[in-house]
Amino acid sequence: MTAVVAESLTKRFGSVLAVDDLSFTLEPGTITGFLGPNGAGKTTTLRMLLGLAAPTSGRSLVLGKPYAELDHAALSVGAVLEATDFHPGRSGRDHLRTLGRAVGLPDSRADDVLRTVELQKPGKRRVKGYSLGMRQRLGLAGALLGDPELLILDEPANGLDPEGVRWLRDFLRAFASGGRTVLVSSHVLAEVAQTVDQVLIITHGRLVVESSLPQLTSRVGATVRVRTPEPDQLQEALRREHLDVTSDHETLLVRGTDTDRVGEIAFAAGVPVHELLAEGSSLEEIFLELTSEPGS
Amino acid sequence: MIAQLKAEVLKVRSTRTTLGLFAGMIGLTLLIVVLTGLLTHPDGLTSRHDQRGLFAPGAVALIFSGLAGVLLMTSEYRYGTIRPTFLFTPRRANVLSAKLTAGLLAGLVFGAVSVGLAVGIGSLILSVRGIPTALSGGDFALIVLGGLAGIALLGAFGVGLGAILRNQVAAVIALLAWDFVVNSLLLGLVPSVGRFMPTPAADALMGLKTTHLLAPAAGGLVLLAWTAVLAVAGLVFTLRRDVT
Repeated sequence: MTAVVAESLTKRFGSVLAVDDLSFTLEPGTITGFLGPNGAGKTTTLRMLLGLAAPTSGRSLVLGKPYAELDHAALSVGAVLEATDFHPGRSGRDHLRTLGRAVGLPDSRADDVLRTVELQKPGKRRVKGYSLGMRQRLGLAGALLGDPELLILDEPANGLDPEGVRWLRDFLRAFASGGRTVLVSSHVLAEVAQTVDQVLIITHGRLVVESSLPQLTSRVGATVRVRTPEPDQLQEALRREHLDVTSDHETLLVRGTDTDRVGEIAFAAGVPVHELLAEGSSLEEIFLELTSEPGS
Repeated sequence: MIAQLKAEVLKVRSTRTTLGLFAGMIGLTLLIVVLTGLLTHPDGLTSRHDQRGLFAPGAVALIFSGLAGVLLMTSEYRYGTIRPTFLFTPRRANVLSAKLTAGLLAGLVFGAVSVGLAVGIGSLILSVRGIPTALSGGDFALIVLGGLAGIALLGAFGVGLGAILRNQVAAVIALLAWDFVVNSLLLGLVPSVGRFMPTPAADALMGLKTTHLLAPAAGGLVLLAWTAVLAVAGLVFTLRRDVT
């Protein structure tokens, strides 16, 4: 059974089309990055998947059924939409206990998941005193309470320090390695690039890319920054190889290739190179690539 | 449904909000009963009407119970816990009926304590001051049972109001303005309409024969109708609206 199916999901707020005819499927055992700039419609899409918002048209199935019709939603799907959905005066552990009681889980589950996210001690304190990273982890603990087979997380890396991001990455990998499914949204590709198997990219509510991560990287290509005292000469050599070059004084930006190739071309042309650097593609750059490319 | 109710009761117990309201209600009830009991001239405490007024802590507990209900519902929206709540229980009608029941239960506790305190301390003051009890067993029954029922209903009423308005500040202001401004004005200016408002109906249910109020049974029915209307409207809104 597919884990998630979206069929022509559409959501309109007044004159704004927040999500526009979005269709995709997620297979079990995969980690999918749901990417797009802020305001692209990611959260609205997740809300529709989770039954919090009704689509204007289209439908979505989670584990074969609309979310609201799942028999034990919280025991098969875990989700976090906002990192701050806690009563500040309630302890983290009590927050989990209230959620667990609603679906008949014993209080010991709250302690189990607090251990999983490494919050055993602060769990007894009121949420008021938690850092954003601790709140992110408490939210994740809530999602894990029912031992779900599908995890849906909206921007889970926001507010995490680098160590926290690495912890999250390892956690999601381990979670999915058991055949379980993860859908994780982000507006920063770098955050999820090392974690996800495939990406869905949306912009202005429309799906622009549905592909595996290697496919995406090869499609967009990386940018190489090269600094040389002979920019004109190198630019000419690169253009002869049909590469897309832009120049800024001594620095050239070469798109759609890698440092090996640029270095070899410079060597062959006899041009000295003072700096040769592969630039990580930010999601924004990828968007520029995707939207400037006709028919994409 | 029982599981959801257990969750809602734990939500009430695991923050200090309801406890704070509860403490405020006890303080204010004691203050009113003690001051009225001790400072009123004995001549003003001898009739049935006077003693009903001394024992009926109505106005105070009613508004506190209503506020508890409003906060029970609106704090879910204020702090965003409504999202995990609905993710765990996507059948929203279950959440709302458990919430209404929790409001009713909280109101019942508020009512039991405030009615108990008012009747207990009031009787004590009367006996210390040597004023004979003018109230019959039936009068006491009405104050206790009518008070409990009315105060409990106000808890569910508050939950319904909160579910309709969602915004905590707006719902608190709406409740207070309705009770203190709208009801007072209507009772004073157009009592034939004012007595059909929720809190005057609750006062009537307790047997407070203040001028213009309805008979106890009629007051009870009117309050029940108000509570039902708000609960159903709250349910309809909760089912139809998106959670942002």
